Amino acid sequence: MSAPASPAASAPDAAPVARPAPAPAKARRACDGIMWRKWFRVLHRDIGYVAVALIIAYGVSGLAVNHIEDWNPSYTFAERGFDIGPLPTGEPAAMADAVIARLHLDRASVRGHFLETARELRVFLTDGQEARLDVTTGKGKLKLVARRPVLFQLNALHLNNLKGAWTYVADVFAVALIFLALTGMTMMKGDRGLFGRGKYFVLAGLAVPVGFIAYVFA
Amino acid sequence: MTLRFASFALLAALATTGCSKGPKADANAKPATTAAKPEGAGATAAKPEGTGAATAAGQSFGAGVKLPDSTPIATILASPKDFAGKTVRAEGMIVDVCPKRGCWFEMAGPNPGEKLRFKVVDGEMVFPLDAKGKWAVAEGVLSVKDMSLEDSVAYAKYQAEEKGEPFDPASVTAPMSVVRIDGTGALIRDKQ
Repeated sequence: MSAPASPAASAPDAAPVARPAPAPAKARRACDGIMWRKWFRVLHRDIGYVAVALIIAYGVSGLAVNHIEDWNPSYTFAERGFDIGPLPTGEPAAMADAVIARLHLDRASVRGHFLETARELRVFLTDGQEARLDVTTGKGKLKLVARRPVLFQLNALHLNNLKGAWTYVADVFAVALIFLALTGMTMMKGDRGLFGRGKYFVLAGLAVPVGFIAYVFA
Repeated sequence: MTLRFASFALLAALATTGCSKGPKADANAKPATTAAKPEGAGATAAKPEGTGAATAAGQSFGAGVKLPDSTPIATILASPKDFAGKTVRAEGMIVDVCPKRGCWFEMAGPNPGEKLRFKVVDGEMVFPLDAKGKWAVAEGVLSVKDMSLEDSVAYAKYQAEEKGEPFDPASVTAPMSVVRIDGTGALIRDKQ
């Protein structure tokens, strides 16, 4: 069934009257759902730019802390052996003084000492370092600790060791990630969109954690 | 163009929301940190890096310390079952800190080898590795766990691995009893 010819079609002289005005067209496009897609695209792009630094930081830290059983992601450790000869017998404080003097330690860097056993003395230094030795022989090790550059700070952010204000920043970031994930699915239309082949990719991504949980907890 | 500006305005609003709730705590923390410096523990010692909030009295973790008096570590370790299940406050020099997750530390008692562990749920509080040698005041519920010889060996092995130390199973000859404080809060300062 063919539509009846409009007055505009039958009267070419009246064309300017029949041409749709820009404003109503915009309103129609909004009704068609084009405007929200444009908004999502713009917000996805700009929030994505803002989130780039933290996504990379959290990703790098995630790799580091995932393997915490195999390495220490925040600190490095080193040991240096020494032999300062037998320490004077008596009070642990006197023994600690001898260690400080013989190892030429800066007194300001010494925090305290502790007798781990009757023979093993530990002298604590700043930064978590310590001298640990056998008081009868004077043989021992200087245990050195250092923060891993960059990774220490990234892990502190990622694991929210800082608490306080960072908790709220991390909350905003988490909401932004959810927003990016949801709007990311609306970027394309048609065959390449969510309701085209996109749904298979989304399902594949869902299947990995769901399958893993089912396997582990079944 | 309108969308571009609107998007920017929305992001700015989000950023402001994220920043408006917390920085006050940090701003307060700095003077206290500086105040702690002259104790002679060195620059890093005074820099808060764990989950605690720095105050003039030290760095506070979790719910902090509420009980007025500390029970000596030697008293707790002499008869731990008398304190089991009770909330206690104890204090001592920190001699070890969990090197991987910062989820526990050990405080020294007055006698050689006398140590009491303060343990928290991973991530709830994170104690910095450089807290070794500092003074801790810790509060929580005392827990006593008697283990079989087999469990004792496994426990000692895990502890050695965590600290990166060698372990000889033959070194554990009798069943162990693990006494620790399941922590609710702590205060760490440079000196006693």
